Amino acid sequence: MSTVNGGWELPISEGELSRMTRDLDQAHHEYLPSMYAAADDLSEQLRDSGAVTQAQEEQQRVASRRRFLIGAGGAAAALALAACSSSKSTKASAAPGSTTGAASSGTSNTTPSPSTSSSGAGVYTGDLKVVALATALENQAVGAYTAALAAAKAGKLGTVPPAVGTFATTAMSQHADHAKAWNAVLTGAKVPAITGVPLSNQAATLSALGAVTDVGGVAKLALRLEDQAAQTYLFAAANVTSPGGIATAASIAPVEAMHAAILNFVIGQYPVPDDFLGTSLAASPTLLTV
Amino acid sequence: MAEELIDTRLLEELTEQSQDLNSDAVRITREALAEYAQAEPEPEPEAEPRRRRWRRGSVLAGAAGGAVLLGAARAGAAGAGDDIMALQTAASIENLAVTVYTTAAGLPFIKGGNATVAAFIAKTTTQHTAHAQAFNAAATQAGGKAQTAANPKYAAVVQQMLPSIKTPADVVKLAITLEDVAAETYTANVAQVSTPALRKLFGSVAPVEAQHRATLLAVQALLAGGAPELIAIPTDAAKLPSAAGSVGFPDSFYPTKNASPISEGAVQ
Repeated sequence: MSTVNGGWELPISEGELSRMTRDLDQAHHEYLPSMYAAADDLSEQLRDSGAVTQAQEEQQRVASRRRFLIGAGGAAAALALAACSSSKSTKASAAPGSTTGAASSGTSNTTPSPSTSSSGAGVYTGDLKVVALATALENQAVGAYTAALAAAKAGKLGTVPPAVGTFATTAMSQHADHAKAWNAVLTGAKVPAITGVPLSNQAATLSALGAVTDVGGVAKLALRLEDQAAQTYLFAAANVTSPGGIATAASIAPVEAMHAAILNFVIGQYPVPDDFLGTSLAASPTLLTV
Repeated sequence: MAEELIDTRLLEELTEQSQDLNSDAVRITREALAEYAQAEPEPEPEAEPRRRRWRRGSVLAGAAGGAVLLGAARAGAAGAGDDIMALQTAASIENLAVTVYTTAAGLPFIKGGNATVAAFIAKTTTQHTAHAQAFNAAATQAGGKAQTAANPKYAAVVQQMLPSIKTPADVVKLAITLEDVAAETYTANVAQVSTPALRKLFGSVAPVEAQHRATLLAVQALLAGGAPELIAIPTDAAKLPSAAGSVGFPDSFYPTKNASPISEGAVQ
């Protein structure tokens, strides 16, 4: 995606471009410490609220059931349980960038790996379920951008404008930051981090990614993910009870909306189409498969 | 402005589509306002966890500028009075934005300049008007007065900057400041107000202001880079500089350090 490819010249100087990139990176890192601190605080609030206790009890029930199966000499049953858990995890968490779907088209496995659901269903309850959903959505976005960049690098999307490449790289990095912040909440609450994409719509997303053959198609798919994420955070801000969760969702929704605005502009659409953000595209917690 | 690439017919079509899409969101917001009118404030958190949150909030905010966290610490502590002040302050910011954009639209270098910039200003003015109406409707439903004046702090800032506004880039710079204050304030407000319906209201407006800012940051970069012809809908994506893809969203988490206090634009 060189700036001289395609026979055009960069309309700004390289120095200006470098300065803007430095500013962007500096700003990007400025708020990370406070967000990680916020994650700690949110974990504490969830502990206060009892959501964590509920989740831990569920984990203990699962662990206890496994101990019973093994202790009773039920090796076959334990294996069946493990196999069930394992296959469910793999299916639920098949991240873009794996050897299935669009990701097989040249992407490396730098995307989230499946390691979520070893603790079984029901671990994430109450606010933690919304946090888990948010993490999964962020991982889904990271995977989608990773796959798109890999496909672009492999020449499978035709000519990719430099601005689109920069957009994908930066947006992906910010989604990874969001996922880290949410995962810090989960691990702080003593429940497993979500490193894959345990969403029931993941297969359809991978399929859609695999079907696109140009930048416009990828951009429209990315726009759908960004709109869904922003609206999910609005839904979360109105529906979770922990103050830290509300504040964190509120601070991420505008960023996803900004991604959507720039995507709209790049694909030739008006960047701020709505007076108010809606929730009709918000992901439901029922999408979670863990 | 140099060359003009705008396809006005397409812009009209897009605007029409946008208005259709928007009607749903407006309906949702009205429903939220109706819910708010009937909603009970959330119960106060237990005393001990709340004290602990305040303590942690103070320490962390001091250490990392964690205004988001401070907002989190305040959540649940707001009452109806604070809600009304937050709504009035929000309306004051919107009122100022409407005034500034309306004034900008009449400037000769905007009126006779880039048609996309002029269209953006017109559309953004209507959006800020809708926001002001929504905030004032919520304030009056909560028993407060509507705020019809502009935010005093930023009105003074605008007054100070007006004489130096000579170019579209100057207008864009001022608009970025206002949009950022609005987005930061409402992002903080989401965690400060006392009902889910109000959280939804502030949470539905903050991202829109952030989108205005993202767009303006991209426009600013194109103006600074000497490529005003790329400020068009549709733009020529292939010619956009690489930085145009990321300059619009500089933060992973929307900051709140410049958020206005809830009392800043409250009706006195």
